Formats: sequence, C-alpha cells, structure tokens
Amino acid sequence: MGIVHAKVPDEAGSNISKFAKQTGLSEHSSKPDIREIDLETVQVRVDKINVDGLGRTKNDIVEDCIRDLFTARDFQDVLLKAHKARVKLDELGCFKNIGVYIDTSKGSNATKDGLEVTFDVKEFKRITGGVSTHIGNNEGALMVGMRAPNIFGRGERVQQRPVFTASILQAHSEWPNSGYKLLERGLLLDLGFHSNSLFKHNLQWEGIIRDLSTLTRTSSFDVREQSGPSLKSSVKHILSMDLRDDLIFPNSGSLVQLTSELAGIGGNVGFLKNELFLQENYSLFEDIVLQTSLMVGYLSSVSKDKRITIADRCYLGGPLSVRGFETRGVGPHSDGDALGANAYWAAGVHLFTPLPFRPGKGGFGELFRTHFFANAGNVGNLNLAKLNNTDLLEAFRTNVRISYGLGVALRLGNMARLEVNYCFPIRYDKGDQTHPGVQFGIGIQFL
Amino acid sequence: MPSPLIDRISVDLGAQEPWPKDVKLFQPYEIEQILLPDNANCLAVQAFLKMCNLDFQVEPRPNAEFMSPTGRVPFIKVGRFVTAELEGIVQFVNGKGISLTDKLDNELKSDLRAYMTLVRNVIEIAELYICWVDKETYNEVTNVRNGSVYPWPLNHIKNREKRNQVIKKLKVLNWYNKTIEEVYQEVENCCEALNVRLDNKHYFFGDKPTELDALVFGHLFTIITTPLPRTDLVEIVRRYPTLIDLVKRIEIEYFKKDVKVT
Repeated sequence: MGIVHAKVPDEAGSNISKFAKQTGLSEHSSKPDIREIDLETVQVRVDKINVDGLGRTKNDIVEDCIRDLFTARDFQDVLLKAHKARVKLDELGCFKNIGVYIDTSKGSNATKDGLEVTFDVKEFKRITGGVSTHIGNNEGALMVGMRAPNIFGRGERVQQRPVFTASILQAHSEWPNSGYKLLERGLLLDLGFHSNSLFKHNLQWEGIIRDLSTLTRTSSFDVREQSGPSLKSSVKHILSMDLRDDLIFPNSGSLVQLTSELAGIGGNVGFLKNELFLQENYSLFEDIVLQTSLMVGYLSSVSKDKRITIADRCYLGGPLSVRGFETRGVGPHSDGDALGANAYWAAGVHLFTPLPFRPGKGGFGELFRTHFFANAGNVGNLNLAKLNNTDLLEAFRTNVRISYGLGVALRLGNMARLEVNYCFPIRYDKGDQTHPGVQFGIGIQFL
Repeated sequence: MPSPLIDRISVDLGAQEPWPKDVKLFQPYEIEQILLPDNANCLAVQAFLKMCNLDFQVEPRPNAEFMSPTGRVPFIKVGRFVTAELEGIVQFVNGKGISLTDKLDNELKSDLRAYMTLVRNVIEIAELYICWVDKETYNEVTNVRNGSVYPWPLNHIKNREKRNQVIKKLKVLNWYNKTIEEVYQEVENCCEALNVRLDNKHYFFGDKPTELDALVFGHLFTIITTPLPRTDLVEIVRRYPTLIDLVKRIEIEYFKKDVKVT
C-alpha cells in the first residue's frame, strides 16, 4: 500500500469520444492520463466515524475498537487503521459482516481535509444453532448445538475472554470390546476461558441420561448387570497448556492436560475422576522429533448410594493408547468383555522421522511421518487410600504391559491423525487381548 | 462379533447341561417397585419352577427389566445363559428333559397353549390397562412405584416413556379405546372360560399342575393380593370360587404359606 493509481476524469476521454464520433472510428486506443499519488503525502483528518447496524451491542466495546482511527493523519494511515479497526471488530465475534466505507466529509461541521468513515456491520442473531458432525477418538458423533453469541452486548464469545457454549446432545455409541451400547441424551454447558495466555480452562456441566444395554445376547453377565438408564450430572474441569508448535506433528513444545470430573450432583451416578496427559517434544535433528507422552488416571467413588457404571471406568489398550493391544484390550475382562478398572497409567516414546528418501519433500510428503514407538502401561483396581507409597510403586510396576513397533502416520487436515502400525506386544497378561501385527488408528489424541 | 446363529447354538448347548445349583431369578423389587402385570409374570415363573421342583433364588434388581434379554421380567440365569418370560423359560426347562405336560396328548397340548394365550391376551392386557391407562391407578400407584428407583427428573421421563410404550401396545391390540367397563367384561369372560375348563378338577389338566396353572396362579393371586385404588378386578375374580380354590391350593402346596385370600 502507499501508491494509488487513479484515473483523472478530465476532458481527455470526452475529447476522444467526440473525435471518434466525428471520424466514425470507435477506437479507444489512447491511454488515459495516469497520475501517481503517494498516499502518505495526502493529509487528511477523520471527522466522523459512523457505525451502522448496531443493535444490542454496547457502544463502549465498539468505541474501544475504532477510537484509534481518529489519530490518523494521512490517507495511508486511515486505510491501515480502518483495516485494524475492522479486524478488531471481527474479533469481537458479534458481527457476521463488516463493511468499511471511506468518504469525504460533508455537512456543516466538515473540515477541509475531512473524511467520514462508515462501518456497516451486521450483528449475529441472538441465538445461532447448527448441526455439526464431530469426530473424536475412533468415533463419530452428530451434534446439534446452539450458542448465544454476544448475549449481553459485550461480545461474550471471544477467544481469550470467556466462551460460553450450551449443547444439546444425543450420542449413540457401541463398544463391542466391552459388550455394551450406550445412548446418551442430555445437556452440556461449557465455559471456556484463559486464566493467562498459557492456561486454558474449560468448566463444564453435563446432565445426561444414559441408556446402557448389552450389545449381544452373549455379552458377559457383568455387563448385563449394568444395563438400564442412569442419570449423570457432573462438573468437569479441563485445564490445558499447549505449547506445541503443531497439533498433529509437533517439532517442539509440550502439552499438559489435566481433567477432573466430579459426578453426583444430582442423578444416580457418582464418582471423582482425575486424569493427566503430558506430552513433550524434542527436535533432535532438523526433521527428527523425539516425543514422549504419559497419561495417568484415577477414578474414585464419592458416595455409597451413587453408582459407577461400566461407561465411567478407565480402559487401556488400542491404537490410541497402548498399541499392539485390542481397543480396551488391557486389564480385567469377563467372558471377553472389557470391564475397565479404576486406575491406569500409560507412557509412550516415539521417534518421528520424515518418510525414507523423502518423497514429495516440502509438499505432499509433509503429510506423512514414519515413527518408531514403544508403549507401556497398566490398568487395574487399586485403592489409593489404603496404599502406602511403596505399595503404590509396586502396583505400578507389576504386570506392566509393553509393546513396540513402527509405522506411518498421516495428517488428516489439521485436526486428526491416521496411523498404520506394525506392532509387537512383548509383555502382556493372560486375560489381555493383544493385537500383534498391523493396526490402524484414527484419532485426535494419541499416546 | 457373534452372530444370532451362534447365540442360538450356545443357548442350545447350555440347555443340555443339567440344572445347576446357582440359578437365579431376576425381578424388580417386590415391595416398592414392581407393578401388577410384572408381579403376576414373576410369580407365574416362580410357581412353574417350583412345580418342576427346580431350585432357584429370587434376586431383586431395580434394573431387572433392562437386564432381561427380551426387555421384560422375569428372567433366569442358568450358568452363563439367560432366558426370559414364562414361555421362554418353559421351553428352556423342556430342553433339559423336564416337562409338566409330557403326559398330555397333542390335542390337550394345543388346548393348553390356547388357554395360556387367552390369559396373556386378556388378563395381562387388562392389568396393563388398569395400571397405565386408568388415571386414578396411574397417579396413585404406577407413577410412584415405577419411578421409585430413579432420581428426579429421570423418574418422570421414564414413567412417560413407559406409559407411551404401553399405550402404543394397547392401541395395536385395540384395547386403548375400551372403557373400563368393557375391560372388566373381557376379564369376566376370560374367568368364565377358565372356570369352565377347570370344571372342579384339581388342576386344569387333571391331577398334575401345568404351566397354565402357574400362569393363572400368578395373575389371579397378584390381582387378589395387590392393593389398588380400584377393587372391581378383585370382585370379578372373587365371583369364581373354584378359581380362588385353585390359587389357594397352589399357594399352600408350592409356596407353603397361609393364604390370605378370604
């Protein structure tokens, strides 16, 4: 920006057309007169800023966004600052559409070099809704959501400021490895905010009616016993700090995610579940990345008359956690159905490298990585209150499952990852369901 | 994933083993939860198993209905296998070579099936009608008992869901539009038919009880002993002393308690 090419609406054009008429030629070959104007030299003053289309949005937050425009002294400055103001208004998340018009100032109070800037905005509706499909770890869901952006007129939907989301959900999931299916219907309220630029919090309340039923007639009786409706009302806090440079194939940085869920405020399901996920990436060579990750979880009961169902328990194994095992393949089983446990830990080490001989370097090839990995973990029932520290260490050490392997990982958009691995489970328990050989995995968060 | 055929085969395989000791019969809580029709069916199965001289333990569960493979109570667990409802259980027990009807000829057997269908299609449906459609009974009894095992607001949701299911069923059977008097008339006709069949014999088919006796016992005993706001059903049954005697006889013989039917 800085130079504007403008046509001068002088007589040249009309002369030509007159000439063309006289001679019968219709040739417009002659070049119009071009003048170069350096915008920095055009002194202007912003007299007036109009914002059209404000409804419930409060003036003060809009004023904050556009005030800076009054300080502009030349035309280039006006253009830059108007653009900045437009970006700021957009960030408020209150408006669907923002148009900027700059005109010379007219009227009685107009100064000589005066300009008038008009922002033509269109507000979001009070409540917007949508149907979205959403892909989670090895599962898909259809979500009907509603949100109320800018409900109090001060842009209450903004990143870095609290974001409030309410969703009504109905999700059906089948868990063949545990022999049950689950229909969940309910309400999810989510308040997301940053406590500083690093820590992102999500405070959620879930009120969900869950209908659990057996998947087949031959499902284990331990699963059958759990059938029936239950009402879960839980408060969940997710604290995450993501310093990674990329979501799918990070080169450096770490991720810390701490999830605490307290169920039992109303309803007949009650538990306290704490989970921690850590990931650390080190760039060894230019494109070779060492990734270590750790996840730990503990589920405890909060009251005798509130239930913990099979759907609440902790599971381990599968392409997203301990590879080389069936999904939920580690830990207690009954007649082949995974029952889950109340505590788990799992760790993984990965060495990510580009594809051998680097085909499609810089383009297509960047979607792929080869990786070598080793996973370890254990899941079991233990009672923290009754264990002392040495027992705890012992419980963590005994019966550790270990697997290793190599494979290719593919980036799917900027949100999911697909892995094809060849796995070798080397330490496993008698009741575990291993999955040696080729294993596919698709998901968002991998161990 | 096991196919239905494998299900079938494994159930058949299970049927060949002898009757184990740890057989459990799952049903809802008798005191605070169970409803008239469910209670009748549970009692019928209990009576049938006792008539066959088979051991079992009653295991009350609030979610028995949802644990059942058919979605209806009661069901029994024999070893690894689960079988629900009287018909299924009778078949399962027959598969183990135990039968109450092996001395009957084919004609009597089809008679027995016809009467069982009659009881199921009239008395059981009438019980459903009274529990779920009759406003007074629904508000005072069904609503409270069916919802007793759920927390608020799940109790209201589940009551409504169940009521809609029952009403749908009654509509299919053309019972929903009947007045309560018509329902009573149906029950009376059914009792009359049973009375004629019993004809002062010891049991419906001679000296030995059959599953029909178990089913009739289950329903009539429950109707007589369950306190409901409407007592008309009890009065209809009381008009048939021979049926009452049958109920008393089975009660004394197989449940060995004093009958409080008078």
